[in-house]
Amino acid sequence: MAAPDMLDSDLPNAVTLLKNLQEQVMTVTAQVQALTKKVQAGAYPTEKGLSFLEVKDQLLLMYLMDLSHLILDKASGGSLKGHAAVLRLVEIRTVLEKLRPLDQKLKYQIDKLVKTAVTGSLSENDPLRFKPHPSNMMSKLSSEDEEEDEVEDGHSEASGKKSVKGVSKKYVPPRLVPVHYDETEAEREKKRLERAKKRALSSSVIRELKEQYSDAPEEIRDARHPHVTRQSQEDQHRINYEESMMVRLSVSKREKGRRKRANAMSSQLHSLTHFSDISALTGGTAHLDEDQNPIKKRKKIPKKGRKNKGFRRRR
Amino acid sequence: QMAIDVLHPGKATVPKTEISEKLVKMYKTTADVIFVFGFRTHFGGGKTTGLGMIYNSLDYAKKNEPKHRLAKHGLYEREHTSSKQRKEDRNRMKKVRGTARKIIHNP
Repeated sequence: MAAPDMLDSDLPNAVTLLKNLQEQVMTVTAQVQALTKKVQAGAYPTEKGLSFLEVKDQLLLMYLMDLSHLILDKASGGSLKGHAAVLRLVEIRTVLEKLRPLDQKLKYQIDKLVKTAVTGSLSENDPLRFKPHPSNMMSKLSSEDEEEDEVEDGHSEASGKKSVKGVSKKYVPPRLVPVHYDETEAEREKKRLERAKKRALSSSVIRELKEQYSDAPEEIRDARHPHVTRQSQEDQHRINYEESMMVRLSVSKREKGRRKRANAMSSQLHSLTHFSDISALTGGTAHLDEDQNPIKKRKKIPKKGRKNKGFRRRR
Repeated sequence: QMAIDVLHPGKATVPKTEISEKLVKMYKTTADVIFVFGFRTHFGGGKTTGLGMIYNSLDYAKKNEPKHRLAKHGLYEREHTSSKQRKEDRNRMKKVRGTARKIIHNP
């Protein structure tokens, strides 16, 4: 018969398993006894804790009790069919499963609290500290006696101020290597001509010719005039500098003129009738239309200012 | 320190005193440690941008603020001798040596 053979082979396994079980049960009972002693001595007060976790605790305990009841019955030979404990177990199990998504949502907060409890306080760069502050989105003018917000505001202000102070470093002047100047008149002329050629190549006349004869698909872009974009970029740079250095820079006459021209250019039909000078490519002499202003040479050396010096970008 | 954006549709530029009052309410400090400056109204009106500083104590403010802003709050008095007078005195001092200089400097 197969059954006694199986029983024989299984017997030694069963004996070792039972021995293991006994040992584990002894260790577990020891630990549980220690825990109960601590709880009875009041080492873990849960009055001010999260009620959600308390509920979970109680449910798990009840689950364990029912399970042990069942094991007792089964071990003493009783049948489990229709046992009252089974129904209770099922009920508790469903409640625990329903609690699980709640648990997920609270996980972040619980982790943070546990960390604060263990280490005392978090470091500045802890990513757990960067939680959103919806109180900062409220209008602070309307809040008269909101004391909860005070603590949070103080916190964010303190951390903000700290970060500002930590950023200030020692000023290192830029190192410019002086180069010997020995440019002859001819070289200067050549350079000027090359620059004029480059400018002429990117003028609207030449670009339209290129479009006409090239095979590439025609691109229609909603682009503003390059002077306008350049000026808006410079304005943005100026605003950023002012806000980070907490000073107001003065606007020179040249800057004012540029700004006015850039503002006017976006709303003018200037580009329809006035074309840039392409004499560098065609070989003729440079001549201007009647209503374009002649190019004036700079006479005065601009005065140095303490604030503007830091603002000038190295081109 | 902060950059302040003021929205005032339909009204003229808000004066600095009003802005510092609002800051007092927002940050629950006193008005004498708040310094605001540099208000520029954008084209078309309605929005003004400026800069502001709030100090932890008046001592820090007196140490770190430039004198003209302290003078606007009444915490600093600049001397009212004209520069021409000062230069004349200095040139007279240059001609003499020793104790006589003191006499010219403090007549």
